[in-house]
Amino acid sequence: MEIKSHLEELLSSGKFVVTAEIGPPRNADPEVIKKKAKILKGYVDAVNITDCQTAVVRVSSMASAVLVMSEGLEPVMQMTCRDRNRIGIQADLLGASALGIKNLLCLTGDHPKFGNHPQAKPVFDLDSIQLIKLVRGLKEGRFENGEEIKGRRPYFFIGAAENPFAEPFDFRPLRLAKKVKAGARFIQTQIIYNVEKFRKFMERCRELGLLDKVYILAGITPPKSLGMAKYMKYNVPGLEVPDEIIKRLEDAKDKKEEGIQIAVDIIQQVKEIPGVCGVHIMAIEWEEAVPEIVKRAGLYPREEAPSFMPPFVVEKVVEKVVEKPVEVIVEKIIEKPVEVIVEKVIEKEVPLEGEMAEEKIFTLIEILSDLKASLKSLKAGMESLEEGIARLEEEFLRKKEVRPIRKEVIKRPEERPVEREAFIEEKPKIEERVEEVVVKPEAKEVKPEVKPEVKPEIKPEVKPEVKPEVKKEEEPKEIKPREEEKLEVKPVVEKPEAKEIVEEKTKVEVKPEVKLETKPEPEVKVEAIKIGGLKGIYRPLSERAKNLPQDLYMEKATGEIKEVVIGNGDRAIKVGGVSTLNFHFFEGEMKNGVKFAFEILDIKPEDWPESLSKYYRDVFHDPALWAKKCVEEYGAEAICLYLVGTDPNFLNLPPQHAKKVAEAVVKAVDVPIIVWGSGNAEKDVEVLREVADIVGERGAVIGPIVEANHRTLAAVAMGYNTPVIASSPIDVNLAKQLNILLENMGLPLDKILMDPSIGALGYGLEYTYSVMERIRLAALFAQDTKLQVPFICSIGREVWKTKEAGLPTDELMGEAESRGILMEALTGIALALAGGDLLIMRHPKSIELCKELFRGLSMS
Amino acid sequence: MIIAERRPIPEILRNIEDYQKILVLGCRGCVAICSAGGDREVSIVAEAIRLARTLQGKPIEVLEDTFIRQCDPEYLEPLKDYQGKVEAVVSLACGVGVNLIADLYPEIRVYPGVDTSFYGANLSLGEWVEKCRGCGDCIIDRTAGLCPIARCAKNLLNGPCGGSQGGRCEVRKDMPCIWHEIVERLKARGELERLLEIWEPKDWRSAGGDGLRVRVREDLRLNGGK
Repeated sequence: MEIKSHLEELLSSGKFVVTAEIGPPRNADPEVIKKKAKILKGYVDAVNITDCQTAVVRVSSMASAVLVMSEGLEPVMQMTCRDRNRIGIQADLLGASALGIKNLLCLTGDHPKFGNHPQAKPVFDLDSIQLIKLVRGLKEGRFENGEEIKGRRPYFFIGAAENPFAEPFDFRPLRLAKKVKAGARFIQTQIIYNVEKFRKFMERCRELGLLDKVYILAGITPPKSLGMAKYMKYNVPGLEVPDEIIKRLEDAKDKKEEGIQIAVDIIQQVKEIPGVCGVHIMAIEWEEAVPEIVKRAGLYPREEAPSFMPPFVVEKVVEKVVEKPVEVIVEKIIEKPVEVIVEKVIEKEVPLEGEMAEEKIFTLIEILSDLKASLKSLKAGMESLEEGIARLEEEFLRKKEVRPIRKEVIKRPEERPVEREAFIEEKPKIEERVEEVVVKPEAKEVKPEVKPEVKPEIKPEVKPEVKPEVKKEEEPKEIKPREEEKLEVKPVVEKPEAKEIVEEKTKVEVKPEVKLETKPEPEVKVEAIKIGGLKGIYRPLSERAKNLPQDLYMEKATGEIKEVVIGNGDRAIKVGGVSTLNFHFFEGEMKNGVKFAFEILDIKPEDWPESLSKYYRDVFHDPALWAKKCVEEYGAEAICLYLVGTDPNFLNLPPQHAKKVAEAVVKAVDVPIIVWGSGNAEKDVEVLREVADIVGERGAVIGPIVEANHRTLAAVAMGYNTPVIASSPIDVNLAKQLNILLENMGLPLDKILMDPSIGALGYGLEYTYSVMERIRLAALFAQDTKLQVPFICSIGREVWKTKEAGLPTDELMGEAESRGILMEALTGIALALAGGDLLIMRHPKSIELCKELFRGLSMS
Repeated sequence: MIIAERRPIPEILRNIEDYQKILVLGCRGCVAICSAGGDREVSIVAEAIRLARTLQGKPIEVLEDTFIRQCDPEYLEPLKDYQGKVEAVVSLACGVGVNLIADLYPEIRVYPGVDTSFYGANLSLGEWVEKCRGCGDCIIDRTAGLCPIARCAKNLLNGPCGGSQGGRCEVRKDMPCIWHEIVERLKARGELERLLEIWEPKDWRSAGGDGLRVRVREDLRLNGGK
């Protein structure tokens, strides 16, 4: 007959027991455990030692139990299923019993995920109920596999845990019944704060007849602080903390005191519940509170345990239990630690509270790293500010880095002496560039090597004869610097009326002389805007892409855009003929590049912005002169005659008027002509019929043809064998449809130019771009033959009618003329990239700008 | 079906860094269904490898092919044609396929392109959840069809544990507590008493505790089996 454990004795004689809990240390120091045991001795009947609670590695429960026994206190060993399989469990149980451990609590165990070794493989060979059954089997002399235990059988007072508050709530008493059936004799519950619910649970157990079969000990924990109580409420699953408890702690002055009192109160309450045979006080890392609680709850003193010592430490015990020679050996080993008494620092273990402290530390670390990160970004921001300031300084104070296009265009129209001085002041710096400057003018064409300072596009619109004399006398000294200035800085140069504009190529050679004459003047009416070239050194594609295999970036088109001939004779121009996306010279060719046409009206424009009209004011009254000016002064290679006067919603001029104008224009110039009707489908039929008579033989383009009038106008066009403009409202399918209709009428595809009805910058440019691009992609890559037709874009009209193009110069919107020029140029460039082949524009400078850029893009 | 996930490209690249010509081999079985190793994924992986190697300056030729299955020697036979023509094979099939290739074609250097994980169901587009552990000893006849070995984090047989809260598993809060579900279901069917019996410890041998698992059907073998 085995000697019962002290705990079992007390319970079986109907006494109300008190047990507590010890958490072993996370190191190999035996003193920690012994110290805690010392605190509890005399106040509790037995003490649990947890088994790697929350899956954090600590001294094993069995080893700690032995150390607790050496202090004369009875241990309750805990065994989980997480870390051992049935072989290891049975081995440990045999060993525990051999060492004199008699109380055993069987648990499933917390999952490794909660602990500090989450990567560990969880064993869970058995669960808690199977474990209870196994232990009972061992007691009865049976291993788990049924084999008989020969010799001394292990004896255990088997316990289990139960959580009355876990779900499903109704099932808990039933599960408890299972545990009792399996062999559990005592139960320690999860922490109770909600006494009412616990009462219900006990009631249910009573109904199931369990209270006669098992001793239930209520779990009690004094909340050490408000934080701990809150943590338990919100972060620990299976723990119910009523709000009153939180409130009590909040209101209390001394939280610890209140915590102890709360524990005491709950003990008083549960004591009254029938079936509660004791309390299990879990005050991890606050073991000192236990004696106080026990005292206040009136549970002190505890019954004296019979001189309880581990069987191997005391000589006497060894003599008594002499059967096993093994024990002698054990005794010797264990004696050593008993003799050595060293004061050591109590380890800070990691119970709930400890975990909270860690939580706080983690939060602190987080906050600190956040602050550090913010500091870093601040520093980064400061650095970019400094950089920006440095750059500004560079630009405006020290070196006048020339960004040709922008620089020029930003000059103010009215020249004042003050400004000139400003330029003069900058002279010394600019002089540094003299040599480079002098060399550049020799560059005839834009050459890659000479790129940085070459400005082949410079058009000093000053005629040597007119102004210079005056200037030469005035500011002889300033001439040279001016020269350099002009080349570098591009200050404003006036453009008095009736000056010859030298052609691009010849200009370059003439530059040095011409420069002498060009000077800004206060009385200058019209300001010329200098268009410079591209800055930087060009690196050919072959160099830039040398590390990439060609098939990674090259995709040859399967189709080609037709070539349309406009005009006839030696001034005829070809449009289209591209076998790739525009400017993708590495993939195909653009036989004819992008062509430009200057737009003129058939009437005097009333509301053109100043920055545009100043170029043509002298010829507004006469379309013929206007056309002539465009060709002769600005080098137009085609003219687009926009018959806006015939618009029924405008002046509604008759077809005869249009005819007259067309005649005049045809006589004045010999470049190809594009006739663009008012846009009113019906009126255009009449007007264009008349006009085709005149311009037909010139191979001029007529349009716009829309679906509504395509039959008649197609017939007209075929009659005179002229190309047409097929106008569709920004839609891929409608564009294609119109082409098909025209083809059906008999008009060949190489006589059609597509007008996608473009939108200006800010007024639909992106949409236009996407439609044009899709059309072009279909034509080139999807073998959509009906779309293999060049684009014609009426840019000038769309841009210069916008509000922004006409607003005056102000701080917010910048300089009026450059704004307008840029708007038109950007629209033109964007659409050229989308596939535009023939661009109709108005401002000479914007055309210049576009040409310059395309020249740059044309380099391969 | 078997759920797998493509291994990170850097790791695949590490495996093939010494080769100049490889085959990326997909499978139209499970891995195709869970979008890890089908035809589409083969082209993606092949292209990614080409791109990465080009950027490294060590171009590689990558052939692409997909077999109906790689878990069947018969369906693997076309691999013979690749022997000697490629230096290595990156197989996007599950571990079964890769192992079988390694068994049948020892000369071929085969590397896995996916990490094989679990048996799962395709709950919705792009979502696969484990349903079975393949323990070889099915118990779900007693648990209303819900398997605790696969779906309980502690694979309890006498669940639920004390951590079941709000119907959720304390270990995996994004997962329901399967024992809670089992209890509720059996309760609804009036079969709750079944759970009052103590479930004996599981025999883990059929779950792999015994080592490699083999299944042989003699009757099929005698009738001209492979």
